[in-house]
Amino acid sequence: MVDVVTAHNRLNYRDVTEQMHRDRKKIFVDQLKWDIPVVDGQFEMDQFDTDAAIYLMALDPAKKRHMGSVRLLNSTGPHLLGDVFPYLCDKGVPRGDDVWEITRLCTAPYKDVDPRPVRGRIATALCEFGLLYGINKYTCVAHTQWLSALLAVGWECEMLGEPRQVGNEVVGAMAITITAATLQMFRDRKKSRIPVLQLDHIAQAA
Amino acid sequence: MSRFDEVAHFVSAANRVTGFDELRTLLDGFVRSLGFDYYALVHHAGMVRANEKLVRLHDFPEDWEGLIRDRGYFCDDPVHVACQSSFVPFTWQDVPNMIALSQKQREILDAARLAGLGNGFTVPIHVPGERIASCTFSIKTGKEIPKDVLPIAQYMGCFAFEAARRVAETTPAEKSRLRRLPSPPKLTRRQLDCVVLAGQGKSDRDIAQILDIGYETAHQHMEDAKRKYGVATRMQLIVRALFDNHVAFADLMPN
Repeated sequence: MVDVVTAHNRLNYRDVTEQMHRDRKKIFVDQLKWDIPVVDGQFEMDQFDTDAAIYLMALDPAKKRHMGSVRLLNSTGPHLLGDVFPYLCDKGVPRGDDVWEITRLCTAPYKDVDPRPVRGRIATALCEFGLLYGINKYTCVAHTQWLSALLAVGWECEMLGEPRQVGNEVVGAMAITITAATLQMFRDRKKSRIPVLQLDHIAQAA
Repeated sequence: MSRFDEVAHFVSAANRVTGFDELRTLLDGFVRSLGFDYYALVHHAGMVRANEKLVRLHDFPEDWEGLIRDRGYFCDDPVHVACQSSFVPFTWQDVPNMIALSQKQREILDAARLAGLGNGFTVPIHVPGERIASCTFSIKTGKEIPKDVLPIAQYMGCFAFEAARRVAETTPAEKSRLRRLPSPPKLTRRQLDCVVLAGQGKSDRDIAQILDIGYETAHQHMEDAKRKYGVATRMQLIVRALFDNHVAFADLMPN
């Protein structure tokens, strides 16, 4: 299952949220060497980890362990593409209630966590969440090294501008269109129609 | 049309192609407008005759294609080997700094220049659970790589390869074959150490000595690794570990 963690229910998820920030530090700062803020030497947390952020978290069945997560921000408020990388969009940053940004997509960096099924669950959760919330497009800043893997998943991707060199890496702004067909594709692949999102928590958050 | 409009046009057209010929036509025009002369979208098949459908789409000069085939260059193509250890694109000039070139690999790079392929920009394509592939844009000998378009070329390479990959697996039979690739078993750190040494030609006795462990332990690590793969010989084990990228070719080179 994938849990929806918002400002309203995050007290129920204190431990796993902490783990998420710790895992994000291991992945983005220690492994990928991104130049981003670290809090208390162990948590990766930036100006967008606010009450406005919604996290989709893949947890273990006991809900004690962070297996992977993604951060979602509505594009009408502060977000990475709009505030830090607007120049990656040739025709302006797409904004709207139905446009949300995906950042900090990760799977827990431990040997006993197989990243593939976790990625699959998060991908399906992104579709389900998108369709439930009336989100038509997700935007993201895509690093080239993940691009071929991202495309191979089958997302309907479009480029928002010319990719550019940022530090040592080439990054580009992308939009992913979410339709019922996208969700169907993931369900066919998994051979299961059972939703992965924890719906009771969405009700709580609304 | 602005350059970005051209790029966006290429992406949406690539997303819609239904056959290789269509993709070829699209690439022909776009690759040249970027300032390159040739392209190649290939799965790195090596000499194993694969039973899944692989992408192999290029417009290299015929002389070069002949050499690749006749001299078996595809087995140790240094550009392909470099892709194993890199997630980021590189030019062919970078290759000697990325891997230790064998005599044959130096020969391959020289032969490419003679055949008219002066330099290239290669984008490694790593899709989890699939064999490594790459998209290369190259230029004729004597010309310079168009540096300012490299970020675009990098993105285009990924979109173009995805289009090729999609076309290659369009038929249901191919799809099910692709799915059949077994997911790689997990080897422990110690098992990997042993497999690497075995790949360098060491016996279990040598391995025990090098790792400073007992002979029985070394032997057991190898047996366990073989069992995880369901194979009977060390040769099969090493090959499978290479195929799954548990081990890189570079790991097996003598120090």
